Amino acid sequence: MNALRRGDTAAADGASAGPAAPVSPPSLPGPLFEALLDCAARRVSGVLRVAGDPGGTIHLAEGGVTAIETPGAPSPEVLLLRSGRIPEPGWAAAFTAAAPDGDLAAELIKRDLVGAGELEVLLRTALADAMFVLACGQVTGCELDQPSVDYLLPLMPPGGVGWLLAEASRRIQVLGSLPSFITHDRDRVAPASGRLAGTMLGGGQDQVLALANGRRTPRDIAFAVGRGVFSVTVQVARMHASGVLVIDSRRAVSPAVPGAGPASPGPAGRPDGTGSGPERGQPGLLPRRKRAGGPGQGRPAQSRPVAGLADRSALLRLLRPGSGTDQDQGA
Amino acid sequence: MAEDALLTELQALRDRVVGITDTALASRDGLIIRADTVDINPDNLAALAAASQGLAQRMAAEAGKGALREALTRGSGGCVAVYPVGMVALLAVVGDEGLDTGRLHRESRVTVEKLEGLLGGSGPGQAHAAAS
Repeated sequence: MNALRRGDTAAADGASAGPAAPVSPPSLPGPLFEALLDCAARRVSGVLRVAGDPGGTIHLAEGGVTAIETPGAPSPEVLLLRSGRIPEPGWAAAFTAAAPDGDLAAELIKRDLVGAGELEVLLRTALADAMFVLACGQVTGCELDQPSVDYLLPLMPPGGVGWLLAEASRRIQVLGSLPSFITHDRDRVAPASGRLAGTMLGGGQDQVLALANGRRTPRDIAFAVGRGVFSVTVQVARMHASGVLVIDSRRAVSPAVPGAGPASPGPAGRPDGTGSGPERGQPGLLPRRKRAGGPGQGRPAQSRPVAGLADRSALLRLLRPGSGTDQDQGA
Repeated sequence: MAEDALLTELQALRDRVVGITDTALASRDGLIIRADTVDINPDNLAALAAASQGLAQRMAAEAGKGALREALTRGSGGCVAVYPVGMVALLAVVGDEGLDTGRLHRESRVTVEKLEGLLGGSGPGQAHAAAS
């Protein structure tokens, strides 16, 4: 199953950048959504390992999400440190103090390095950003791993799956509605030639402009400045539309390979939905773990790309009433 | 041409693994062969990668941990990984905080093998010839 990706053709043949042609936004991977909704319905605690590009790990507590780790979006630590919000020595001291018991959030608050409310907002935003990135990416499989694994800065109480999926959808729709469509993890941007040097743009644009070197994607810029990928992508798209930035090249991404991830292929291991399970004996694949089960456990899940991502109702159809997933566990 | 192929492999690795910011291919004695870098001095990177690789190899031997697979340096802003490439060269990979080092180690295998093939043979002459 390949999530429909905008720019796939250009990326595949290595075509150099041209003006972004308006096409529909990427679709949301079926297996990821199905796995999440299933975990929410069954109030699972554990980690959901998402194989793909960028893939990642979703930490679950009783069906809610406490954290998402992914190479595709900055973690709370990056958001706090890279932005300069918390100085490195302060972070290191809090980390050392918290290390034995693991409550880094309390230690940061106690040391007045960040306020409780501010930290919660940051954790929520980071979570929504990471889910957006996972939802836009390639997902080749989902495997549930129990018991749960410790995470440095979990969101407590956990975020609801319904809220997170709705947030991801909203972000995708916002990007699709902008005058320029920039792919956050593929478009490498650079300053447009002929720009007046020394002109201050304000609003964080100067920092983005300084980092746009033709090698960095919006995701890379986000990591470098300690901001969310979605926020930076919106800004880059606007700067592209106003002629300040150009797409220098596109990162070539190979087609999704079934099971090409840290975990063994899950129910969605084959793009056509066939296959009888994980490819045992393949070097480098970890042993099977307990699956995110549910109806038809053991039967390979059918890849079900969500058509017309711009159609919010397609997402809402997945949030079946009565599953308990559309109840926000927070603001 | 061999030089294009070497750089192509470095660039392909950066495309394949999210979070890589720079890569360099260097000889074991610290000379840069090819660099896909920006804002990092490739000569300094090559020299330090070779030193770090040599030290790591001795450390692994001293601690009885077998053949060196990877020398990894972690900082608050990211990391640098150094991998042996055959007997005469090494691959340095610089990444930001989002780089998944486990994935990098797996994905770099293909690159290391291709680089080794392109450098050809195991004599130091090949590495230095490629650098010139």
